[in-house]
Amino acid sequence: MKNLFNKLVLMLMSFVLLPALVFAEEAEANLVTIFEIEVIILAILIVVIFLVFLLWHDAADPSSGLKRFTSAFMQKLTGSTPIEKEESIILSHNYDGIRELDNKLPPWWLYLFYVTIVFGVVYMLHYHVLNTGPSSSEEYVQEVEFAQAQLAASAGMRVTEETVQFLTDAGALSSGKDIYTKNCAACHGQKGEGLVGPNLTDEYWIHGGGIKNVYKVIQNGVVEKGMLAWKSQLSPSQMQDVGSYVLSLKGTNPPNAKAPQGEKFVESDSVKTNPM
Amino acid sequence: MQLETFRYDNKIVRLFTIATAFWAIIGMIVGLLIALQLLIPELNLGLAYTTYGRLRPLHTNAVIFAFVGNGIFMGTYYSLQRLTKSRMFNDTLSLLHFWGWQLIIVLAAVTFVLGYTTSKEYAELEWPIDILIAVVWVIFGINVMGTLIKRRERHMYVAIWFYIATIVTVAVLHIVNSIEIPVTFWKSYSVYAGVQDALVQWWYGHNAVAFFLTTPYLGLMYYFLPKAADRPVYSYRLSIIHFWSLIFLYIWAGPHHLLYSALPDWAQSLGTVFSLMLIAPSWGGMINGLLTLRGAWDKVRESPVLKFMVVAITAYGMSTFEGPMLSLKNLNALTHFTDWIIGHVHVGALGWNGFLTFGILYWLVPKMWNTELYSKKLANFHFWTGFVGIVFYASSMYWGGLTQSLMWKQFTPEGTLQYPNFLETVLQIVPMYILRAFGGFLYIVGVIAMIVNLMKTAKAGKFIPEEEVQAPALVKPDKSEKKSHAWIESRPIQFTIWATIAILIGGIIEIIPTFVVKSNVPTIASVKPYTPLELQGRDIYIREGCNTCHSQLVRPFRSETERYGEYSKAGEYVYDHPFLWGSKRTGPDLHRVGKKYPNVWHYHHMIDPRTMSPGSLMPPYPWLAEDALDISTTAAKVSALRSIGVPYPVGFENIANDLLTKQANEIALDLQRAGVPIDADRELIALIAYLQRLGTDIKANNTSAR
Repeated sequence: MKNLFNKLVLMLMSFVLLPALVFAEEAEANLVTIFEIEVIILAILIVVIFLVFLLWHDAADPSSGLKRFTSAFMQKLTGSTPIEKEESIILSHNYDGIRELDNKLPPWWLYLFYVTIVFGVVYMLHYHVLNTGPSSSEEYVQEVEFAQAQLAASAGMRVTEETVQFLTDAGALSSGKDIYTKNCAACHGQKGEGLVGPNLTDEYWIHGGGIKNVYKVIQNGVVEKGMLAWKSQLSPSQMQDVGSYVLSLKGTNPPNAKAPQGEKFVESDSVKTNPM
Repeated sequence: MQLETFRYDNKIVRLFTIATAFWAIIGMIVGLLIALQLLIPELNLGLAYTTYGRLRPLHTNAVIFAFVGNGIFMGTYYSLQRLTKSRMFNDTLSLLHFWGWQLIIVLAAVTFVLGYTTSKEYAELEWPIDILIAVVWVIFGINVMGTLIKRRERHMYVAIWFYIATIVTVAVLHIVNSIEIPVTFWKSYSVYAGVQDALVQWWYGHNAVAFFLTTPYLGLMYYFLPKAADRPVYSYRLSIIHFWSLIFLYIWAGPHHLLYSALPDWAQSLGTVFSLMLIAPSWGGMINGLLTLRGAWDKVRESPVLKFMVVAITAYGMSTFEGPMLSLKNLNALTHFTDWIIGHVHVGALGWNGFLTFGILYWLVPKMWNTELYSKKLANFHFWTGFVGIVFYASSMYWGGLTQSLMWKQFTPEGTLQYPNFLETVLQIVPMYILRAFGGFLYIVGVIAMIVNLMKTAKAGKFIPEEEVQAPALVKPDKSEKKSHAWIESRPIQFTIWATIAILIGGIIEIIPTFVVKSNVPTIASVKPYTPLELQGRDIYIREGCNTCHSQLVRPFRSETERYGEYSKAGEYVYDHPFLWGSKRTGPDLHRVGKKYPNVWHYHHMIDPRTMSPGSLMPPYPWLAEDALDISTTAAKVSALRSIGVPYPVGFENIANDLLTKQANEIALDLQRAGVPIDADRELIALIAYLQRLGTDIKANNTSAR
């Protein structure tokens, strides 16, 4: 039976530890929060170990040496009167057979309570009296500014409306196809034949053909007509890939094609792809 | 001293015992069903009544108010009589309480599947049932107070303190949060709007956890644990300190459900710090429970009753530590709106409430039927299946919630979202949903084993309907008694008054300034009331429980403003009766969905979500395109909203349906042009109108400012 109890304790432990494994695996991505996460895991671990200790301590064989040691430790921690002497602190009440001891408040518990109260006061002072901590909206501004500064540093490598090119290599087109199937096919059809949105396989374009116009439409959308702006969802290079894929569909004549819409587009020299 | 002879009423306890076991099964099976619906949306069988949005409130209400509720009453009616040495105050009140409560549960189940809901979590019931709840609760209160007045035991034991706090606080919470203006018999609007409604709701919601799932169960622990272990309670002093600090502090912590929301920062911070301060008072209960078992651990190994109780108390300790941690803003930013929270509440519900109830049942049934438990082996089987069930449930939800949250927040080096398609983050954690459903299944298997075991036990024994006992009459209090805590323990009225004061302070300090200080909800001039059609559409959104899976609150994080658009402002919600911020994102946030997609996209998406989002977990709503919109209520709705402060001009209700028809025609025409033949009078048209309006008022503001 003792075994059963140990099993219980072990399972309790693993139950709380599982989320920690998740952190270990997933946290790499978010470097900003990894430290905070670790502190919290540590706190949780301490709590769990303490709980397990509390449980296991009383369950242990009283004759073992370890038990004698932990008993003394627990005594200090909880300030409790030993069981043998509990008659001295039993109260006179008897509620349907239930008696009450009057053990001291466990010191560790009391100090924990004090610490959380101090934390509460300091927290309120920090954020709302001294105003030394940022408000939610200030935090947001900081976060965005930080990201913009980082992005500005790497702006040189990025695809833009000006530098976008019609890519014809297989890698770009297959990545474009992937993006297309996930995001565009719902409105433009699996093969670009057009559904809710226009046919993408003919020579007619509502907002102009060619990679630069197509890139612009993907990037900013034409919201009044239902085309979404994809710039927050796709990276510039992904938009370049999917734009190139769309252009590669020209003349594929899929079944059930929607009738042409917009103007016939003829590629002029100025927007032709220009290898740099 | 004269001994009086009287009898304990076990019949009422038996009724509540049966109801507890019965509703446990119902509530949990509905839970398993909706867990499976997240994997297989077709499990609603194509019916509106059984969609996830309608069943999820049925599950939460059934386990909280039906299973745990009946559990509270079972334990209270049993222990209160014995702790006061008195029969319950009035047998008729006991029966009215029992049948009234069961009636409420049945009405709840029926109205939820019919789509009658206020949308406010754990307070979804419509106003006639709210009134019924208040009446039945007052009956319970009178019955308990009456018993306390005619008690034979001078002092009230700690369990009774918790019962008193429960009765008072639940009444206050329920009444304040349910103030609503009726439109029809099954439709009402919360008198509070937007941010204020959110604050009142989560003051209620959090304290429903505190005063329905926690304090009464602590009371039960204080009675049944020492009885089952035959040990004295560890510390009377600790009982006093942790009781008063717990009820005083708990009431403040509600705003931790609204961190990084449009709620004013100061109120959010109060939610955080009071949650932190709750660790020690909560653990006071755990310590007093676990240390009561000093010297009785050999019994824990032998007795299923104690095993269940030990795990219950440990689960209580873990979730009351986890809760405050989740109230820290940085961890909350990571976990809110995710399945982590679902895991967290289930450690409490399955571990603390479930296992404590099971422990009590295994102790109580043999006692009342005057026999031994039918099978200890079967009880151990229940223990282990239940325990493993919880492990599966919680770990899969923690893992899934965290994975999804990190995916939501992940940026590419180019500065765009790594997983811009929300659905991708959902499909990633589907394996976790499978494990969760398996955990829930195991847990239910255990409960079935318990019911079999208890029925066999009852069959083997003989029920004792009345227990005859003797006790001396109550003696007058000793005038020279010192003004210590013992003084108030022997005065139920004074005790109740002080407990009421303790639980009112926090709510008053948080709620009143949010209502009267204008700067807390800065107004935005371009935010206008909904059009009649949008209003009707919003009520369909509420009826279908869209808010169970979709939030309407963009938090001030770069990852959210990139995904959804500008973060939500308090002033945008001033006409939202009730608020619809939601608490869980199984689908994406919808606060900025207006004008993002064409009408026809919404049409196809509602008819079959998977045509627009392949792999979506959302059920189809084809009946919305078949059913005609009921516009007979429009005028009454407009008038009702005006009476609670929405500035519709006088006489607007008379032209409301004309405007409604005009707007509906425009949308229908647009849809027809896009190749979808649909009549303008369909419910779907109204829903599309509402979705297209969401979060757009502030965009108009920006354009005009430029």
